[in-house]
Amino acid sequence: MSKIFTPIKAKILEIIDETPTIKTFVLKPEEEFSFLAGQFAALTCFGIGEGFFTPSSSPYDKEKVEFTIMKVGRVTSGLFKLKKGDFVGLRGPFGKPYPLNKFEGREVFIVGGGVGMAPLRSLFLALLHDLPKYKKVYIRYGARTPKDLVYKSSLFEWQKIENVDVELTVDVGDETWQGKVGVVTILLDEIPCDVNTTCAVVCGPPLMMKFTLQKLLEKGFQEDNIYLSMEKNMSCAVGMCGHCRLGKYFICQDGPVLTYKEIKDIEDPFI
Amino acid sequence: MIFVLDEISLRNLFHQWLLNYKIFIPEISNDQKIPHLAILDKEKLEKFSTTVFLNIRTSEPLKAVFSLPKEKVAIFNDKEEKEGKEEKKILVIGAKVCDLRPLAVLKKMYLEKNFVLEEFKDKIEKTLIISTDCPFPQESCFCNLVGLKPYLDKETEGIIADLNLSFVNNKILIEVFTKRGEDLLKDKIGVKLEEADKEILETQKEIRKKAEDYLRKINEKDLAGNISEKILVAKEKFWNEVLTTCVECFGCLYICPTCFCFLLGDFLVEDHYERIKLWDTCYHPMYARVAGGLNPRAEFYKRGRNRFHCKFANFYLEYNFYACSGCGRCFNVCMGKIDIRKILLSL
Repeated sequence: MSKIFTPIKAKILEIIDETPTIKTFVLKPEEEFSFLAGQFAALTCFGIGEGFFTPSSSPYDKEKVEFTIMKVGRVTSGLFKLKKGDFVGLRGPFGKPYPLNKFEGREVFIVGGGVGMAPLRSLFLALLHDLPKYKKVYIRYGARTPKDLVYKSSLFEWQKIENVDVELTVDVGDETWQGKVGVVTILLDEIPCDVNTTCAVVCGPPLMMKFTLQKLLEKGFQEDNIYLSMEKNMSCAVGMCGHCRLGKYFICQDGPVLTYKEIKDIEDPFI
Repeated sequence: MIFVLDEISLRNLFHQWLLNYKIFIPEISNDQKIPHLAILDKEKLEKFSTTVFLNIRTSEPLKAVFSLPKEKVAIFNDKEEKEGKEEKKILVIGAKVCDLRPLAVLKKMYLEKNFVLEEFKDKIEKTLIISTDCPFPQESCFCNLVGLKPYLDKETEGIIADLNLSFVNNKILIEVFTKRGEDLLKDKIGVKLEEADKEILETQKEIRKKAEDYLRKINEKDLAGNISEKILVAKEKFWNEVLTTCVECFGCLYICPTCFCFLLGDFLVEDHYERIKLWDTCYHPMYARVAGGLNPRAEFYKRGRNRFHCKFANFYLEYNFYACSGCGRCFNVCMGKIDIRKILLSL
């Protein structure tokens, strides 16, 4: 039997409702499990199969690991039926982490869309752990409606931190919403940082990624300073099964985050 | 070291190997043009004729011995793994070069990257390979186009066997390549090994040259080294045209000895879960689809293109040899009569 395909067990400590279709699963792995921000893991819903997710919690939290998951398919529907105290399988971590050492001394410009905020939260918490190492951290986050914003309470807390600049927008507002209305790219009209040196990190649905990338390039961000989360079908997560192929890359090994410079010659990289 | 032995000695060797190994061998019946892969037993050995080795490779890819089409790779959920019974070592006799190159491809993917596929490693370690020359290539063969020869040449990247057999004038030439191969010949009863003389080696060379000449005659143009760039820039129109008769049966990829793709699936078996690894094919419309329904290769030409990018561009650019061995199986099984050579040469 291959150890690489055998998950460890993890107990569900808590399930947090983020939005009507997104939940955060707080897990306690039964064996040693640690990861670096940006790496992903495979969650097994027993008897149904595996899905691949990047943890949304801090990599420095050794007690638990959190995954923020949107219900979109077979495995996530299975996960949504689970309750506190149930077990899932956990395999990983896989892929390359964000190059935090490259971010040191620079401004970091995080752009998230919808549930794409999940890996970015883990990145942000890792940056927060050593905040003085970075010049400034910006978060630009958009969701469809105020109800679709994840980590709402945290976002408002983060806004208060010195050297952290958070701006939010929703595509469609409601009676409770006082903030900006429009797609996430409206938050990129004004770029407060030095585009020559700032590292931009983007995660969200394919269309959002495409238009955000366009805007970042227009604004003058450097091709190798734009980090993009690539979503691909996966099966093995260890670079063998072929499913996550994108050009010459295996996203599970060479990614899941690649720079624009690395993928710019690939036709339709975001689906 | 190259030895000569006669047919009786070879048969005696087979008898003795059969005691210690599970032996895979090509087998052909009267109504077949191409042999199939069979497991040798005493009864089969009685009727066995070495002429079967003069045929081209078997219809099934040899990779099936090393990576089963359907294979259990994990058991979990409180289930202790039962000790599997000690399986015999495996001996493959009669492998052609076009089945050895694919093993080099699979080794790159399953053993030499960041992780190791245990099942494959185990099979590779416990399997000895005796290759045979391919003196009579057929029209579907094109190993020469992808940089191979119709016999084992140790200079060729990633082509490894423990012993090689050539059939010359009713004699058998046996060349030793590894220590494991040498051990296979040690202390065998009723086996006469003589050192090969110059004359028989010359005849072997001639037979090999004839096979090479035939391959050159049916495949004149060489692909080596120049195909990757062309493949990467070929456009939608090209792929649609060359794959127009494809009925998407996926036969070409399931039969391909270098295809390494697989899919993991979980199944409830009595009181535990089993994770099964299945051969997969990138021609399948669902292959790259993500949860939620988006599909980066919804159009067939993108899936077709992916196959060629994988085998002839991405793999070549990384490892300097094609993930294709010119065995011609894809062409043999194709209902749309798509000849991969024509596609490559029309680029």
